[in-house]
Amino acid sequence: MLVKRKSLGHDTGAARRARHPAIVAGLVNEAVDRRTFLRRSGLAVGGLAAAGTLSLGAVRKAEAGPMQEGVPLETRKNICTHCSVGCTVIAEVQNGVWVGQEPAWESPINRGTHCAKGASVRELVHGDRRLKYPMKMVGGQWQRTTWDEALTEISAKLGDIRERSGADSVFWLGSAKFSNEGAYLYRKLAAFWGTNSVDHQARICHSTTVAGVANTWGYGAQTNSYNDIRNSKTMIIMGGNPAEAHPVSLQHVLSGKEQNQANMIVIDPRFTRTAAHATEYVRIRPGTDIPVIWGMMWHIFENGWEDKDFIASRVYGMDAVREEVARWTPEEVERVSGVPGEQLKRVAEMFATQKPSTLIWCMGATQKTVGTANVRAYCNLLLATGNVGSAGTGANIFRGHCNVQGATDLGLDVTSLPLYYGLGEGGWRHWSRVWEVEYDWLQSRFDEVPAKGGRDARDRKTNMETPGITTTRWFDAVMMDPEQVDQRDNVKAMMVFGHGGNTVTRMPEVAEGLKRLDLLVVADPHPTTFAVLGERTENTYLLPICTQFECSGSRTASNRSIQWGEKVVEPIFESATDYWVIHQLAEKLGFADRMFKNIEMVEGKFGPEPQPESVLREINRGGWSTGYCGQSPERLKAHMANQGAFDLVTLRAPRETADVGGDYYGLPWPCWGTPEIRHPGTHILYNTNLHVKDGGGAFRARFGVEREGVNLLAEGSAPVGSELTDGHPEFTYGVLKTLGWDADLTQAERTRIETQGGANADAVSWSTDLSGGIQRVCLEHGAIPFGNGKARAMAWNLPDPVPVHREPIYTPRTDLVAQYPTRDDFRQQRVPNIGHTVQKTAIENNIARDFPIILTSGRLVEYEGGGEETRSNPWLAELQQDMFVEINPADAAERGIAEGQLVWVTGPEGGSKARVKALVTERVGRGVAFMPFHFAGWFQGVDQRAKYPQGTDPIVLGESVNTVTTYGYDPVTGMQETKVTLCQIAAA
Amino acid sequence: MFRASLTSIARAGRVALAAIALLGLAAIAVPDETLAQGTNPTAQAVTEEQLLQALQPGGEIAGRVSIPDQKATGLIKPGGQDWRAFHQGTMFWVTIVALVGMLAIVVAFYAVRGKITIDSGLSGLKILRFNAFERFVHWLTAGSFLVLALTGINLVLGRFVLIPLFGPEAFATVTQLGKYAHNYLAWPFMAGLVFMLLVWIKDNIPDRTDVAWLKAGGGLLKKGVHPEAKKFNAGQKGIFWSVIVGGAALSVTGVLLLFPYLAGGYADWQLVQMIHGVVAAILVAVMVGHIYIGSVGMQGAFDAMGSGEVDYNWAREHHSLWAEEARRKQGAQGGASGGARPSPQPAE
Amino acid sequence: MARMKFLCDADRCIECNACVTACKNEHEVPWGINRRRVVTINDGTPGERSISMACMHCTDAPCAAVCPVDCFYTTADAVVLHSKDLCIGCGYCFYACPFGAPQYPRVGNFGSRGKMDKCTYCAGGPEADVTMAEYEKYGANRLAEGKLPICAEMCSTKALLAGDGEIIAEIYRERVVTRGYGSGAWGWQTAYKETVAI
Repeated sequence: MLVKRKSLGHDTGAARRARHPAIVAGLVNEAVDRRTFLRRSGLAVGGLAAAGTLSLGAVRKAEAGPMQEGVPLETRKNICTHCSVGCTVIAEVQNGVWVGQEPAWESPINRGTHCAKGASVRELVHGDRRLKYPMKMVGGQWQRTTWDEALTEISAKLGDIRERSGADSVFWLGSAKFSNEGAYLYRKLAAFWGTNSVDHQARICHSTTVAGVANTWGYGAQTNSYNDIRNSKTMIIMGGNPAEAHPVSLQHVLSGKEQNQANMIVIDPRFTRTAAHATEYVRIRPGTDIPVIWGMMWHIFENGWEDKDFIASRVYGMDAVREEVARWTPEEVERVSGVPGEQLKRVAEMFATQKPSTLIWCMGATQKTVGTANVRAYCNLLLATGNVGSAGTGANIFRGHCNVQGATDLGLDVTSLPLYYGLGEGGWRHWSRVWEVEYDWLQSRFDEVPAKGGRDARDRKTNMETPGITTTRWFDAVMMDPEQVDQRDNVKAMMVFGHGGNTVTRMPEVAEGLKRLDLLVVADPHPTTFAVLGERTENTYLLPICTQFECSGSRTASNRSIQWGEKVVEPIFESATDYWVIHQLAEKLGFADRMFKNIEMVEGKFGPEPQPESVLREINRGGWSTGYCGQSPERLKAHMANQGAFDLVTLRAPRETADVGGDYYGLPWPCWGTPEIRHPGTHILYNTNLHVKDGGGAFRARFGVEREGVNLLAEGSAPVGSELTDGHPEFTYGVLKTLGWDADLTQAERTRIETQGGANADAVSWSTDLSGGIQRVCLEHGAIPFGNGKARAMAWNLPDPVPVHREPIYTPRTDLVAQYPTRDDFRQQRVPNIGHTVQKTAIENNIARDFPIILTSGRLVEYEGGGEETRSNPWLAELQQDMFVEINPADAAERGIAEGQLVWVTGPEGGSKARVKALVTERVGRGVAFMPFHFAGWFQGVDQRAKYPQGTDPIVLGESVNTVTTYGYDPVTGMQETKVTLCQIAAA
Repeated sequence: MFRASLTSIARAGRVALAAIALLGLAAIAVPDETLAQGTNPTAQAVTEEQLLQALQPGGEIAGRVSIPDQKATGLIKPGGQDWRAFHQGTMFWVTIVALVGMLAIVVAFYAVRGKITIDSGLSGLKILRFNAFERFVHWLTAGSFLVLALTGINLVLGRFVLIPLFGPEAFATVTQLGKYAHNYLAWPFMAGLVFMLLVWIKDNIPDRTDVAWLKAGGGLLKKGVHPEAKKFNAGQKGIFWSVIVGGAALSVTGVLLLFPYLAGGYADWQLVQMIHGVVAAILVAVMVGHIYIGSVGMQGAFDAMGSGEVDYNWAREHHSLWAEEARRKQGAQGGASGGARPSPQPAE
Repeated sequence: MARMKFLCDADRCIECNACVTACKNEHEVPWGINRRRVVTINDGTPGERSISMACMHCTDAPCAAVCPVDCFYTTADAVVLHSKDLCIGCGYCFYACPFGAPQYPRVGNFGSRGKMDKCTYCAGGPEADVTMAEYEKYGANRLAEGKLPICAEMCSTKALLAGDGEIIAEIYRERVVTRGYGSGAWGWQTAYKETVAI
């Protein structure tokens, strides 16, 4: 047969080559190009001695390969806008058009790679299903409008609503898709507007992680990094499916697994794509994480595998945990969770003895009525085995969106101000100093709340310090009896920036809430489900926002590394940047001068807009508490330009490297002090094995120095090189003076502190000192500014100080409810939480008989979040064309359901139902069903495609799982329950 | 060669069965046990080697894909190599044998027997053998078949015969046109088949005269021998049934090839393609003989499908029973009525 | 000259489909044409493995052997390419291909097969390298730019390897030795009549 075409000169490989004599010559001369080759073949250079003997082969020398011949090609670096791994995207731009993507080899995070979403982000900017211009609903029809008209009308309506119902009646929903600067400005906008009801996706993502982790050891974030997992010898992935949700993280996980022959244990109700690569898979009943963790700890304590020294020196309250754990014998654990004792013992032994061990978790842990308690239990397992604060250990919490960590840090949260400053007077005064606006003026922006529903009235100050309404409950706050809503009036208006409308549970009620709003504004690159769900006819606006690829700014990856994204192309169509829109709103609402007082404006697409660099500098000026102070835009840009300098495992650049020498990649927070002192950032939190100046630390002394006579400070443990070798409280000017370290302050710093503190200058602390002097001096002495405390195994301020098992509200194991009931009804974040009543009613009505299948939900690799962006991308949409429910073959057979058939999934609340395709698979165990959460555009069997503005409907539509998900909220954060409810499935 | 091809076909048949069985199993097999304690998914991972070893001949290693294209589920299909071997070996040689072999036979026959003439010479009397519709049906089928056959043969042999002569571009253009012609002319061909079946089936039921005709070798081999025959002799009946059966096979397989999305999987399409190719080759061979005898091979034969009227003497020699019948009928129509006995072979 | 091959390390592949969308993005491959796909075997049970598959650029490629218009050719890097100018969309290569690589746009009145499209190993087609003419028919020509196929370059877990057969076999071999397991160099026996001996 003919292998090579001989008859056609112009077709032969040889002839092709002959046309490029330069290339052939290049080949001969460049035989050493092997390094490029190896890198491009996906191999870490080094560790492949054998390959040294291999010849390079015919990889030809590079030559320009533009899409259009002869037009210059520019490259720009930005960060993928999907998950939190933070993959660098290299964009090739020609004539202002994004024409190609190239692997970003130098990024230590993704090393050239992507997942399906990252490899197709060009389409976000390239695609034609974006919202093209501002639109408004008139008489039930979408009409094109202008930016000016839309923003003027919106501002006027906001003014009216404020007049009638107060500032708190506007719910500001922000986004984990914002850059840090956008998130910060949005939080600031809400503050200047006068409400704390400003939230974002973290509420429904890792709010319980943040609460649980911060209450354990100080900060609400991943302690280590994706890269550091390469050091682990044992890893447990519990309640997470990173193979689909964070695919690039698996590069590090699987490399670690292979290099260290590490144990990779997946504990999950579902045999996921991640589980397929585990060395041990443990299937549990959904909602039994705490029994499983306590079950492991039972074996650990029983066999003395715990890290006694670690507990003694760095942990408070482990005895209280021991008491609870003692109740979870292997028999009881198996009865409740279904996991056999022997398997759990093996897993416990590996985790406790084959160290370093890390625990990785995601939504499976957090999206529960016991979310915070789950997280706390996980932390306890880490503390008991001494697996925090060193390489290869830690709570590797994989966050969801590209900037959910940053948006959380910057305060898109109903309980805090930017960078976790509390809502108390201290926090407000700190930010009013940074913003250079009068505290009293800020206070005057807030509502007075009259006494109602048997609750006391609130003055402006108290209201300013009261947490707002969460994104999981806003619709309750719209529809509920005004007496029940703990603010001046119900929620009347919603401003949604970059958030899907299908992301919260109880969607039929969400739809009703949307219908009743006086004003709905959706600012997003896509119309989102909000545009179609509410069947609204007036007072609804769609504002086209550009993606992060069309503007610049920084974003914080899950590992706290901050990366600067460069604008790839100008915003397409009539879309605008978040910065511009926020500024415009502030201007039209009358406080732009105050709000942008210290922020430089630059010429943007539609006129002056805030410069992100300048916004970041303001963040730096106020970000002491979380160490967001050292990451100046210049430093971040230098990191992006020198990505190749950072080590794959330690993330650190060699000291001799210009500009970034000694830094950890992306200056992971805390990056102490001013940018000038060049703190390297903190790769691993609470790491006592390093000097503070090298990113070392200790558990944060956040909870006082003693409690009931028990020391809360570390004992005999301190970061390497610290002059204080024992525990100590957080630093203030007063403490500096006591130690005599105040002498090291410069005169300018001292003056600043004393001016700022006035009569109470001794109370000026490491987190409020705007001079940065206190932090600088601490570092000089090797001391950690936030103190050196113990982590809390028992967190006395939480509803369950030691986590206890509580059955899900809708549980098939009704026999366990009496013993493990959910919490009593109570009030949180301005609304009641009646979970206990709902659980009781479900039992009385025998819901578990009629809805016998546990329904859980999760991610697909092709889509993200509410899915509008990704379902509008043909390259992704082609891969998942139908919403489905995974059902076990046995359950399917019982119901006569065949693969691919349409079925009705019905939920126990309000006759809710969803029509989807059946995917019959053993991924789910018997009695469990799974649905992905990215779909929308069908609602209870009705196609809503026609309701999208023309040409903006996503390619793929489908029922949302949240149509059938149900009531249930975490008592600490108001997190919704999406992982355990009940359903019935029948052929459609 | 034929043996080889039959084995191939048989193997492909097993392939299809195996594929169907696999699909069935996949749908039914529902092991209903909770995961055994101590599951180590890494250690239990499938290996390619295991799967290849367990593979039935012609089977495929298949799994799940998220795209709707179910033919994408097949990961490795070693059967492709078998089809390739069939196509390059059996199909190639069968086509050559059918075409070149039959041409050789015909040429040899002509050399030995020469043109079969009308022994009793032309009578000058014409009788209607095929009416306009019959002739239309014949030529519709014949014409489309001719193009189908040539374009089909081109796919098998053209690469080796024509590319060296005309070059790849010209050949590809012609072959591309040939593909369109093949796809479009398949429909008139199939229509022709249906009409033929309706029009001529009654004259093509085998009967006792056929036995005698065959015993006498159809009179083809020896001059002056003319066994009795009705409208169609056994040879023609053979042609008819070859066309009907072969054409039907080609039609069914052809439609499946044209619309692969209609039914079956990878192995089925391979089998279908093999049947199509082999049947086509056989039919081409049959048709070469038919064309020969209907044209240069026999004096007076072409008129039947040409003008439709044949010489009475030709009819008498080759279709004696039909000629008699036709003559009687013509006579009856011409004058006397009522006296005619029921015609055993009513004329059209 | 190198002998270019693909090798999918199924113990690394997580079915993230980056290879699929990277390919779509790089070559603007239309909806319905899947030059590369990921197949999951034993889905949902211990034993599950996903494998990314495209044209394997076989040694003695069956597609080339059966093509009635002889439109395939093998480059000096052993990449199997074809000419869309010659292809008539007959489907024979699909029957012969052991990997289901050939894809056909549905065109014409019967929705019949258009000109075949398949993975080019990011090496374009017969047109002059790195030209619009080449891009429009075959997509980008990365090989001519000194780059490897985008699917392998962007593979999230570096499961999919592309490059000289000996080098990638060595990478794979080393991995298997380090970690102690390997489900095989999928498709190698079928495509190259050899496997990676460990």
